[in-house]
Amino acid sequence: MTLSRETYRQLEDIVGAENVSDDPVVLDAYAFEVLADLVRPEQSHFMPRPVAVIMPRTTEEVQTIVRLCNRHRIKVKPLSTGWYHFAAPQSDAPTLQLDMRRMDRILEIDEKNLIAVIEPYVIAAQLQAETLKLGLNINITGAGASCSVLASSCAYAGQGPMAYWMGGNAENLLALEWVTPAGEIVRTGSLGSGDGWFCGEGPGPSVRGICRGTIGSRGGMGVYTKCAVKLTHWPGPTEWKVRGTVPAYRLPIHEHFRVYTLAVPSWDAWADLYYQIYDNELGYVFHRQFNLAGADLAPAFWLMYNDHTKTLNDVEWMAQEPGMRELTEEMRISFQFIMAGRSVRDIELQDRILDAILAEVGGWKVKRFAEEDMAEFTNMYLQRLGHKHINYVWAGGYIGSWMQVGTPDWVKGYIPIASAGLERDAASGLLVQCGGDAMMGSGSGFPGGGGTGLEQFVSYDPNDRESTKAAVRHMEDAVRDATSYGFPPGKEALYLELSKTDEQVWASLAAANQPAVFEFQRKIKEALDPNNIGDRLYSTLPADRTIPADKTPATDRR
Amino acid sequence: MTDTRNALAGIVGREHVSDDPESLQVFSGDHSFVLPIPPWFAVRPGSEGEVQEVVVWANATRTPLVPVSSGSPHFYGDTVPGAPGAVMVDLSRMNAIKRIDRRNRMAVIEPGVTYGQLRPELAKEGLALVAPLRPRPNKSVIGSLLERQPTLVPRYHYAFPEPLRTCGVVWGNGEKTYTGEAGYGPYSLEDQWRAGLRQVDPKGPAQTDFVRLLSGAQGTLGIVTWASVKCTLLPSVRRFFFVAARTLAELTGLAYRLQRLRLGEEVFLASGALLARLLAAEHGVAALKEELPSWVLVVGVAGRALLPEERADVQEKDISEAARACGLELLPALPGAATGQIEDALTGCSPEPYWKLAYRGDTADVFFLAALDKASGFVATARTIAEEHGYPAGDMGVYLQPQHQGVAHHCELSFPFDPSDPRELARTKAVHTQIGERLIGQGAYFSRPYGSWADLVYNRDAQSTMLLRKIKGIFDPNNVMNPGKLCF
Repeated sequence: MTLSRETYRQLEDIVGAENVSDDPVVLDAYAFEVLADLVRPEQSHFMPRPVAVIMPRTTEEVQTIVRLCNRHRIKVKPLSTGWYHFAAPQSDAPTLQLDMRRMDRILEIDEKNLIAVIEPYVIAAQLQAETLKLGLNINITGAGASCSVLASSCAYAGQGPMAYWMGGNAENLLALEWVTPAGEIVRTGSLGSGDGWFCGEGPGPSVRGICRGTIGSRGGMGVYTKCAVKLTHWPGPTEWKVRGTVPAYRLPIHEHFRVYTLAVPSWDAWADLYYQIYDNELGYVFHRQFNLAGADLAPAFWLMYNDHTKTLNDVEWMAQEPGMRELTEEMRISFQFIMAGRSVRDIELQDRILDAILAEVGGWKVKRFAEEDMAEFTNMYLQRLGHKHINYVWAGGYIGSWMQVGTPDWVKGYIPIASAGLERDAASGLLVQCGGDAMMGSGSGFPGGGGTGLEQFVSYDPNDRESTKAAVRHMEDAVRDATSYGFPPGKEALYLELSKTDEQVWASLAAANQPAVFEFQRKIKEALDPNNIGDRLYSTLPADRTIPADKTPATDRR
Repeated sequence: MTDTRNALAGIVGREHVSDDPESLQVFSGDHSFVLPIPPWFAVRPGSEGEVQEVVVWANATRTPLVPVSSGSPHFYGDTVPGAPGAVMVDLSRMNAIKRIDRRNRMAVIEPGVTYGQLRPELAKEGLALVAPLRPRPNKSVIGSLLERQPTLVPRYHYAFPEPLRTCGVVWGNGEKTYTGEAGYGPYSLEDQWRAGLRQVDPKGPAQTDFVRLLSGAQGTLGIVTWASVKCTLLPSVRRFFFVAARTLAELTGLAYRLQRLRLGEEVFLASGALLARLLAAEHGVAALKEELPSWVLVVGVAGRALLPEERADVQEKDISEAARACGLELLPALPGAATGQIEDALTGCSPEPYWKLAYRGDTADVFFLAALDKASGFVATARTIAEEHGYPAGDMGVYLQPQHQGVAHHCELSFPFDPSDPRELARTKAVHTQIGERLIGQGAYFSRPYGSWADLVYNRDAQSTMLLRKIKGIFDPNNVMNPGKLCF
């Protein structure tokens, strides 16, 4: 599918010839996406190719583009920094990819009122670097420091290691500027009333309630062009004196901070420790990060990573070394935990409270990871989240399964199931066998804690078709495992959805516990996107689908 | 009329249907300046199913419904019918505390559950709920949270609907859904609890965050039949401190600092006139007002969980240091007010009569959101307008409550008056109207546009207004839910 010359010229007229392209080589660069191999025929690395890519600079240009696409019935797929295959066109219908990289400005940082106003291509590292100068910080999502803050705030998930204290980016989202699929510019909350960016709610009902839920619309419901996010106090140095050897950068620990890896003897103790931390309101960063390398290999891996004389090939023998085996057992059920105090007396008190909690639940601080080198490395890793390459370290590809969010008592129920599932599926030799569980994730999906979710890191080789197929089988197995034990499907179902036909997706939505929400979303989409230029990532259930009687609670249906 | 009565009685039971003019009188007007309109009937459903049947009946008969969950007095006009022939849906019978979960610090309640009812039950479990400033005991918890009434502890105000998390809702079209995390589970809370689900995460299901859509909706989209709310641990140590100043501007630097550091439990700024009404009995307001400073920053300190005394000590020292850095002094007491009075006012419910009414018999409040550094200007504008109308500016109360962890501030300007004096009534109404108009034009954000503010606010943002009307058409296609409110 190609664009007509006339349409192409109209696009050039909007943004200038240098900011639009339909060169197949360029277009394939956009179609090439992480995780595409899991959902595309023949394990292709390419999602559907867009008909053109365009790089707008202003909201008005975006609006003009969207209106043009409505006239020509071309789908619109905005992309900021991208993460996963959701960022690409979702079908072979003609789709214009909007690359938002020219909208990369931090428009304002209001230090007093704790607000930053940003464009779509402002990445977390960029914004954090600026806010730290003012003694402020941002929530960096699990996608890492190189990802768009606006995207995670408006259009995707938004959780990360810091969400426990700072709030996920769903909670941090303030006012928002949105070009709807019909090409209207909506400004939410105080912005729409001309009163600034500080509030995203109202007037009256908050319209963000129709498009920014557990996840956002993932590029399926128009284009978000600006937003404001809430900032958080940073009680450390305004300039980071980073040290260490590439890639094991280290951030010295300021007197207002403590950096630990905490461990417990059982998952029951993990839940007890979680609830104690939650009740005692400790924690600035709360994350199970290092276990992504697998419980049997994680200590050896991270110590290798911090030793510039060693390489990945050394991990296997290091893991068998005397002392390493003990360390592996010592931190088999562990997580990373950074506390921050307003003052020295505050952090000292927090330390005392943490010690009392650990004594009560039978937990401990992992000594080797509390030593200066590993503590500083942990500090750098989790305060910046700049090590996303690690996701791919074992074999070049990874997927996450499970990660259902719920209370700690509920989450601990699926950990043994998830672990056993990985062990079973990795036995084929087609997935990386890192031993034990590879469950990792944020202490909380929302501010203040009380709900968490752990993701099983499954490493595979995306350039090996059999390994890729094994990864898909694992995802399907994870769905079956979850269902058979009474858990809802995890994030793997979200990934796999992209491999399904429309009919399969609709059948899945109709089978949900409460399918009415997808009927409402269809009506919302019909109202906001009359020409259907968005994609199906804003999930809808067609009007002619039959919903089982036990899932239709309306009186008039009974 | 008889047919209607029978139809409603068939749903909720004859004893829960009323068309007696005397009993309907309570719904026909309130303390706002909204035009009184008597309802046709009032029904008191006892269950989610009955609510749903009432809504379905209203759609079939095109009858306006006005949901109400709190007891009187009402203040904003949102529970006064905006159209004739309306049926009040009085949710006060649905007053079950369905679950209190200490370990997860969650409670699930029905809409008729009030602050006066819930607080002691939570306390038995060692829990508390962040609440508005001295709510009346019969104020519905869900009603208050859906109205986005400001709550007293900004550091727990992680987002605007807090501590409201998930809810069950019967939409205007008669459909029922659960919101947030609860929207992924079965249509039965009991089944969800058996599966270990606790309705903690407010987001979802899917791409929706319907709690946010329902909040501020004034009952125009649907009727909430239950909600989960996040609780805090009940503090075992409480202390209160005060910073006095002659002007608001002197306090804003410290207020900002406390918010940034998330220091303090209850944190708010108030004028002496407002505090006098909050703390004094009916006949003591004038005298207390004379004793109190012009402006006060109130800071509560709480110690809970492990080492509570030490926690309170550290907070006290940190707050004191922050105050000194701003050239201000932390006071352990307010002149004329006993510590017990303060604690009662900040952690309990209002005595009768409601504290806002006790001084002069009535109050007219103007409230909006703003950044704190703009508040002084808005207060000055309001004072000028009040004086121009001959309103005693010294009676004007000001309450500034940090929200969303200090990013926004609820600004409330309160004008007590004697409703039995026609001249005073007319003067106060004029002040109220003009201040609303002027401040909306000056950049005060009226995020909860009640009554006459609605037109002024929605006229400023045509695009959002059109979008809201589209949304309304989806969830309440026959416009049976509280028609005439907001932009509907």
